[in-house]
Amino acid sequence: MAINWNSEYYVALEGKDLQANAMAVDITGTYVMLAGRRYIAIRNLDEECEIVQKFPRQSKYDVGAAEWNPTMHHRELCVISSNQRLEVLTWRMEELTQTHSLKAHTRVITDLNWHQMDPNLLASCSVDTFIYIWDLRDSRRPSLSLSAIAEASQVRWNRISSNLLATAHDGDIKIWDQRKGTAPVQYVAAHLAKIHGLDWSRTSETQFATCSQDNTVKFFDTTNPRKAEYILTTNAPVWRARYTPFGNGLITVVVPQLRRGENSLLLWNTANRATPMHTFTGHKDVVLEFEWRHKRPGDSCFQLITWSKDQTLLVWKIEPFLQKLCGYEPEDPQEVTSYHNPKETVEKVMKKAVPKVEPLQQEFSLLNVHIPNLEVKSMNLPDRLCSVQATVNKFIVNLQINFPATYPHGVPPDFVVQEDSKVDEHIANQLLQTLNHLAQQRVSKNRTCLESCLRQMVTTLEQLITDSETDRMFENTLVNPSNSFGGYNDAYIPFPRTSGAKFCSVDTLVCYGRMGHSHRLSAKLDIGTPRALSALENLLAKRSSHKLSISTYYYQKPRRTKASKSSKALVHIYDSSGLFLVHKQLAEEYILDGDVGTVCKHNAGAAALVGRWDLVQAWALAELVGSPQQVNEGDIWSQHPFNARLMESLISHYAKLNDLQMAAMLCCVFGKEQKYLMGIQQKNAKLSKSQPHFRLVPSTFTSSKITKHMLHKSCASPYHTIPPADIIAEGWVFPYLESMKTSSSLDCLWSDDPTRTVKSTTSTIYEYYKLAYAETLYRWGLLYNRAEVLKYLSTSQETHKGVEFLSECKHCMKSTRASNCSSCRRLTLNCTICHISVRGSANCCIVCGHGGHTTHLLQWFKDNEVCPSGCGCKCLIETANMFSS
Amino acid sequence: MVTLLQTIDTGHEDMIHDAEVDYYGLRLATCSSDNSVKVYDIKNGNTLLDDLKGHFGPVWQIAWSHPKFGNLLASCSYDKKVIIWKESNGKWGKYYEYANHDSSVNSVQFAPDEFGLILSCGSSDGSISILTYIRENNSWDAKKIQNAHAIGCNAVCWAPAIYPEPAFDNNSEPNLKKMLVSGGCDNLVKIWKEEQDRWIEVCKLEVHSDWVRDVAWAPSAGLHRHIIASCSQDRRVIIWTSDDAITWNSTVLHTFDDVIWNVSWSLNGNILAVSGGDNKISLWKQSLEGNWQCISDVAKGQGQINNQ
Repeated sequence: MAINWNSEYYVALEGKDLQANAMAVDITGTYVMLAGRRYIAIRNLDEECEIVQKFPRQSKYDVGAAEWNPTMHHRELCVISSNQRLEVLTWRMEELTQTHSLKAHTRVITDLNWHQMDPNLLASCSVDTFIYIWDLRDSRRPSLSLSAIAEASQVRWNRISSNLLATAHDGDIKIWDQRKGTAPVQYVAAHLAKIHGLDWSRTSETQFATCSQDNTVKFFDTTNPRKAEYILTTNAPVWRARYTPFGNGLITVVVPQLRRGENSLLLWNTANRATPMHTFTGHKDVVLEFEWRHKRPGDSCFQLITWSKDQTLLVWKIEPFLQKLCGYEPEDPQEVTSYHNPKETVEKVMKKAVPKVEPLQQEFSLLNVHIPNLEVKSMNLPDRLCSVQATVNKFIVNLQINFPATYPHGVPPDFVVQEDSKVDEHIANQLLQTLNHLAQQRVSKNRTCLESCLRQMVTTLEQLITDSETDRMFENTLVNPSNSFGGYNDAYIPFPRTSGAKFCSVDTLVCYGRMGHSHRLSAKLDIGTPRALSALENLLAKRSSHKLSISTYYYQKPRRTKASKSSKALVHIYDSSGLFLVHKQLAEEYILDGDVGTVCKHNAGAAALVGRWDLVQAWALAELVGSPQQVNEGDIWSQHPFNARLMESLISHYAKLNDLQMAAMLCCVFGKEQKYLMGIQQKNAKLSKSQPHFRLVPSTFTSSKITKHMLHKSCASPYHTIPPADIIAEGWVFPYLESMKTSSSLDCLWSDDPTRTVKSTTSTIYEYYKLAYAETLYRWGLLYNRAEVLKYLSTSQETHKGVEFLSECKHCMKSTRASNCSSCRRLTLNCTICHISVRGSANCCIVCGHGGHTTHLLQWFKDNEVCPSGCGCKCLIETANMFSS
Repeated sequence: MVTLLQTIDTGHEDMIHDAEVDYYGLRLATCSSDNSVKVYDIKNGNTLLDDLKGHFGPVWQIAWSHPKFGNLLASCSYDKKVIIWKESNGKWGKYYEYANHDSSVNSVQFAPDEFGLILSCGSSDGSISILTYIRENNSWDAKKIQNAHAIGCNAVCWAPAIYPEPAFDNNSEPNLKKMLVSGGCDNLVKIWKEEQDRWIEVCKLEVHSDWVRDVAWAPSAGLHRHIIASCSQDRRVIIWTSDDAITWNSTVLHTFDDVIWNVSWSLNGNILAVSGGDNKISLWKQSLEGNWQCISDVAKGQGQINNQ
C-alpha cells in the first residue's frame, strides 16, 4: 500500500456524478460505500488507483442512511435506507446483491444502526414514531418493535452492553433495553433544540454524547441522567459528534444545510473543551458523513474517512501527535521521537558509557518484564535466545525469539511459535506476520525491538483471538474445516449429488436427501442447480474465506442449535416389493419337487393365498398341459404342438410383465414335462434302437418320477466333489449338472426337432429366467429353493475349477464320477470303517484316498487324527496343508 | 406400494452423497462430504458397524462387491483416490488403495460377479480405470481407458453378464463379453467393450445437451435386449435400447424440473428410480405397450418423507 499522502489527507475519490448523501466504511477498512439516489458506488481503499464500481439503483427515493455490518462475521453485509424500506445488500465477489428488503415502517426512515456484537441484529427508527429491531434470520417482520410516541431522528446501539440502545426524539433521548421492549428504561431531557447526532462512548457503557441545533455537544452518564456531565459549546449547530477510537477525542461537523463556507471538521479533546484541538481543512463544502477506518496492525496512524457535499472522499491521517493531543499515548512509540521513551534514552546513555556491552545484553537487562498476559520464560544471552509465553483466554502461545549476531543493526530476530502452543495455525501465522513486520521496521532504524514486539504480540493475540472466536461462534458447526475445495480443475468436477435413490438387493430402495428446510443459496439469485463444483467456490468465496462445503450451499444461515446436528444425514430405506410381481412368500411356498400335476396344484394354492388369481389360472393351465394324469402313455396329445405353444406364450407373457418368478417357474415345470416326454421318447428310441445319439441316457427312464428320483440321488451325493476352501462363500457347485446334461430335456428334445434353430433362442432366454430368479432367491437366502430351480438349468452355470474326486471301479478299473460304475453298475466306493459300499454322502482323504460314509468319518475323526484304514496318513492335517499351500 | 421400512440417522457431519445396501440387503453403506464412509447393520437395530476414515476429501460414491469375494466395499473421493475396504472378523480395514487418477474420482462400480473381482472407476481427469484382482499373486491389475470423456467422466456402469448366442455349447467356456457404459462432461454416453485385453469404444451416443451425470445399464432380467438409462444436467432422462449393443435407439423418458443426478434400475423388472437436484425421487415403469409411466406415489407421497 503505497499511498501518496498529500500532507495530512489524500483524495480517495472524486465523484461529481454520484450525488451520494450516505457513506459507510466496512469493518476491514477496505471498502467504502457511497449511496445516492441513482447509484451505489464502492471504492476499494486498498487499491491505489481510483477504481470505483458503480451499481445503478432504480429508486425514486434518496438513500437516507447507510452502514456496513460492524462484525467480521457479516462483514459483507451493508444496509441502506430508502424512504420506508431498509435494503440489506451483500458485497461479494465484486458484486453487490440485495439479500433482504425490510419493510415495516410506514414513514420515512431517519436512521439505522447495526448491533455492535450480534451480526444479525439491526435497529431502525422512523418518523412513524416506531423503532424496530430486525433479525436478518427472519426478515419478514421486525423481531422487536419499540413504540416511542414521538418521531425518532437517531438510533444507536450501546457499544459495550448488547441490550441497550438509545434514540433521539427532538430534544430528548430515550434509552431502551431490548429485553424490556414496552417502554424506555431511561428518559433524558438533553437539549431544548433538536438533537442531530447521538453517539455512545467507546469505553464506558453508561456514557453518551449528543449534539444539537443549539450549538452544543452534551455528555451524559446514564447513572445520572438529569444533568449533563459537561457541555461543549461551538459556534454553529452541530450535525454529528462522535467519539474517536483513541483517547478522549471527539469529532464534530456542522449541520450541512447551514452556513455555507463554514465547513469545518473539528477534533476536540473532551477533557479540554475550550478550543478544538485540530481543524481539518481540505473539503470545499460541508462534510456529510465521516467514519473511522479500521486500524491496520503495525500502522501507527488512525485514518478518518470523510465524504463531503463537494463529492470528494478524503482519507485523513491522524498523526500520533494529534492522538496525543486527545490524551492518547500510542502503545508502540515507534514513530514518536526517542525522547518520549526513557528506556531508549537510557540505552543511548549506556551505549556511550560502556560501549563494549552488547546491545542484546542491554536490551535483556532493561526489558520491562511486567507485560500483562505475558511471561518471559528465559533469556539466554550466550545462545542469543529468549522464550516467552503469552496466555490469552485459553490460548497459550510459546514464542521463541532468536537474535542473530548482527541484531539489531538491520537484522530482525527470528520468531518461532513452539510446538506446544495451544493456538490454531491461522492465528499463529498472522501473529508471526505482524511481529516480523514490526521488528523489521525497528531494526531498519537500528533500534531494538524486543519489548515493543512483546507488547505488540499480546495486543495482536487478543485481537486475533477475539476475532476468531466471534467468527467461530457463528460458524456452522457442521462444516468440516478439513474440506478444502478449490482445486484448479473444480470446474470439471460435477456438482455433488445431495439426494438420490438406489435400488439395492432385491426390493430395497435406499433414499437419501436434504432436509426439508434446506434452501439453496442460489435460490434467490434464481440460478438452477449448478453443474460443476466450482460454482460452490464462486458463490461462497467471499462469504467464508476458507471453508467451502456443500452444506453451506444449502444451509445458508448458520444454525446454532446443535440438536439438529444429527438429523442432517438421514437415509431412508423403503421396501419396494409392492412394486414388483416377484413375491417372497410365493418363493417360499412354491415347490418343484413332484410330478407336474401335484406341483401345479400346490403352486396354484400358494398363489391363491397371496391373492394372485391370475397365477392360479396360469397354474391351472400348466397343470392341464403338463400333467401326466391327463395323458395316456404314448398318447400323442402330450406331444401336441399346442401344448408347447401355450406354455411358451404363457412364459413370454409373464416375462413381459417382468414377473420373472412365474416365468422361471413355468420354465422349470415346462422342462419337467419335456423331460417326461423325452422319457417316453427314450423308451421308444430304446425299443427301436435307432437313436444312437441318446445312448448315454440311462435306459431306466420310464416316468418323470423316476427321472426325478435319479436326479435327486445324484444331487444328494456330492462326495465326489471337494470344494476348495475359498469358494465356500460361493458355495454352489453343481457337479451333477454334468450328468444332467446328458439326460437334459430341452436340448435333447429340440435336437430332434426340425425347428431347433428357432427354439434355441427361446431356450437361451428360458435359462436367463431361471438364472435371474435363482439370483433373487439367493439374495433372499432361500438356498434350497434356489437349488431346486437350478436343477432345471440345462447348462452348468459356473464351471467347476476346484479339485474333483473320481472313484475308480475296482472291478472294471474305470473311473467314474457317479456313485456306481458306468459299465458294471456296481457301487464303486467302500467305506473304510464299515466296509459297506457308499451310496450317499461320502468323504475321502485327498492324500491317501481313503474315505467312506460321512457320518462314520465324522465320528472317527472326532477322536482320532490318523486314517481309519491304518495307512498312517494324518488325513485332516494333510488335507488342510494341501489346500493352504 | 412402497413402504418405509426404517430411517437411519447416519450421523454424518455433512451431506450424504451416496448410500447403498449390500447384496443381501443386510448392511447399509453411506458416504459423505465429511470424508467418511459408514457401514450400518440395518437388520439388527441399525447399529453402526464401522466408520471408515481414509479419504481426505468428500466421498462421492460407494459400491458393494458380490459376497462371493468377501465383504468388500469400494469408495471414491474428491481426493483422487479409490479405496477398497474389506471386512475381516467384524472389523473393516483398507484392502487396496488406488491413487492413479489426476482428479476427483466420481464413480465406482464392481463388475458382475461372473467376471471375477473387477472394479471400474470414472474420474474427472477424463479416464476410466478398470482394476482387476488377480488371485494368483493377490494383486490388482489396473487398466486405464485414457481420455474416455474429453473433460471428465462422471459415471460408469457395467453391462450385465450375458451369454452371447448361441449359448449352451457345452464344451467351450461360455465366452462372456465385458462391457461398460460411461457418461461424461462431453455430453456423451459411451459404450465400451473389452477385446483381447484392450478396451475399445463400441459406440458413442449423442443426444444429451449437457453433462451426463449418471448412467445405468438395466439388469438383463431375461429380456434379450439391452436397456440403458442416462440422466443429465439438461434435466432429461433418456432410455437407450438395443438388440445388439451396437445400434441404439433413444427415447426421452421425461424432462424434469431440475437437473437429474441419479438413475437406478431395480433388480427385478423395469422400474427406474430417478432423482435430482430438486430433492425429489420418482419411480418409472414401462407399460406393456412400451410407454414409460411415473408411478407417482413415491414422488408425491412417501418419497417426501425423505425430505424431512
